[in-house]
Amino acid sequence: MAATARVADGPALTPDGSAPTPGVSGPVTKRGPWRTGLLLASPAIAVLALLFIAPLFMLVYNSFRTQSGDPTLHNYTRFLGDSFYRDVLWHTLWIGALTTLGCLVVGYPFAVYLRGRSPRARNYLSLVLLSPLLISMVTRAYGWLVLLGPKGPIADGFHALGQDAPKMLYNDTAVVIGMVHVMLAYMVLPLMGSLDPIDPALTPAAKGLGASGWTCFWRITVPLSLPGMLAGSLIVFSLTVSSFVTPAILGGPTVKLMPYFVYTEATSNLNWPYAAAIGFVLIVVTTILTAVYARLLRGRGDKEVFA
Amino acid sequence: MTTATETQTATATATSKAAGKPIATGAGGRARRLLGAVFAALVGLFLLAPVLVTIASSLTTTSYVTFPPKGLTLHWYAELLNRPEFLDSFLLSIGVAAGAAVVSTALGLAAGLAIHRYPFPGKSVLDRLFSSAFAVPTIVLGIGLLQWYAQLGMASSPLTLLLAHLVLTVPYTVRLVLAGLAGLDRSAELAAAGLGAKAPQVFWHVTLPAVRGPLIAGAFFALITSFDDLTIALFVVTTDMQTLPVRIFNYLQYNYDPTVTAVGTVMVLFAAVAVVIIERVVGVAHLFGADPES
Repeated sequence: MAATARVADGPALTPDGSAPTPGVSGPVTKRGPWRTGLLLASPAIAVLALLFIAPLFMLVYNSFRTQSGDPTLHNYTRFLGDSFYRDVLWHTLWIGALTTLGCLVVGYPFAVYLRGRSPRARNYLSLVLLSPLLISMVTRAYGWLVLLGPKGPIADGFHALGQDAPKMLYNDTAVVIGMVHVMLAYMVLPLMGSLDPIDPALTPAAKGLGASGWTCFWRITVPLSLPGMLAGSLIVFSLTVSSFVTPAILGGPTVKLMPYFVYTEATSNLNWPYAAAIGFVLIVVTTILTAVYARLLRGRGDKEVFA
Repeated sequence: MTTATETQTATATATSKAAGKPIATGAGGRARRLLGAVFAALVGLFLLAPVLVTIASSLTTTSYVTFPPKGLTLHWYAELLNRPEFLDSFLLSIGVAAGAAVVSTALGLAAGLAIHRYPFPGKSVLDRLFSSAFAVPTIVLGIGLLQWYAQLGMASSPLTLLLAHLVLTVPYTVRLVLAGLAGLDRSAELAAAGLGAKAPQVFWHVTLPAVRGPLIAGAFFALITSFDDLTIALFVVTTDMQTLPVRIFNYLQYNYDPTVTAVGTVMVLFAAVAVVIIERVVGVAHLFGADPES
């Protein structure tokens, strides 16, 4: 209670009414605001330090140990030396790339469509768009199990057309469909963010100068929405390669992805150091890839996006 | 805007025919709009289909999951009541989720105020940590927490689960509080103080109401995030302490019957209520850092 009571004193009531600029460390003379700030932030700092930083350090530390605790590089040499695990890494990145592409193909026209709608319609559509994120992952994946299953409505559709239904479950197709479903919002929201500010007069202007609809689209809309596309792709890719639940349920044991092995090594094989090493490799590889991607495209995109 | 363009297009089409290139024919525009609507409807169907299917197939009279459901019955919901393990898991999940909601709202408010208003050492690091906490894969966090708890000798309990969930939820509440504070006009606080309100009164009557929306939304978001979390819970739970998502996940490995769709439907209803509240209070899109209305 003491903490909350202090909230409004100090800089909150400076005579000129200006707040201390966040992030800028100007000449701070009073010690009061410092103490209040630290006091207020300390529970959150404790949570981050004890439950975020410390576990990650533990993970990295353990990944360089044997199960009995001796220092070793074996976990990494084992991972990199085994073509099976290298394939798992490639496959994970491949699924991430496919999902990103899928989100772009479905999400871009959707975002363009949203652009011209009334605020009301946009609100409802955004809610639909975000609904998968707010609904239990298990329920969601279960719905896909039913839909994509050999006796599901999609298979029925194929049968009605007199065709054999392709196998849609426990393979890459199922995983990519399930992942696009979850990730679509992460693609569309940044796209909306970069499509909305485009001056609506540009397209009629270009058309007036004789450009066709396609030319307008490729030379005005696409380049101006590039920052959103890049930001969305970055988020979708990095979230996809590290997701576990959807691939585990829809892909089963046949679709071998990195997070699945982090889980099985830790819980079935009880090889924590190796699980830690796989997890760390996943973080390092995705960090490098996304950093390179951001760097390569920085010149073309919005800087803020990658800040 | 659309009507203006339409009239423009209509006149332009009439005049530009002679010039060679029609800007857009009325029929072409209408066809394109229809195409857009059909596409959007398909995307909507794609997004909602798994949930609709889960709900529908929970009502089937067959003992296997089928869609469309055959017959209508609430048998599988009744069946749920005969399974105390599902009820136990539900209570555990709800308890942990409620705890996570309360704690992360308080922490989020305090940290948000600190970051927004006070200079203190390490502030920018803290700010950055809150944004990077989103980016760390939950599976990696899960295994890290498992090893860290083991190192500390902490046996898994509802408390350890709650603490683990704070890492997922506090960054969101901080972000929401910061957004709420950014929109707050400081002169209201100054006016209140100028009229003789004490600091606690200013906080209670001016500052807190301004961030009430973000706080409520943050609390409900924390509630569903914790309630639905599977990845972290998988590492923290034990066989006799399983959250509902973990229970369903394990059940799914060996069973495929409508009981699970019934549980799933209950979870959907639960999330739907939370979503409606968030949407009413701040708007769901706000939560993910985008405002479709702006």
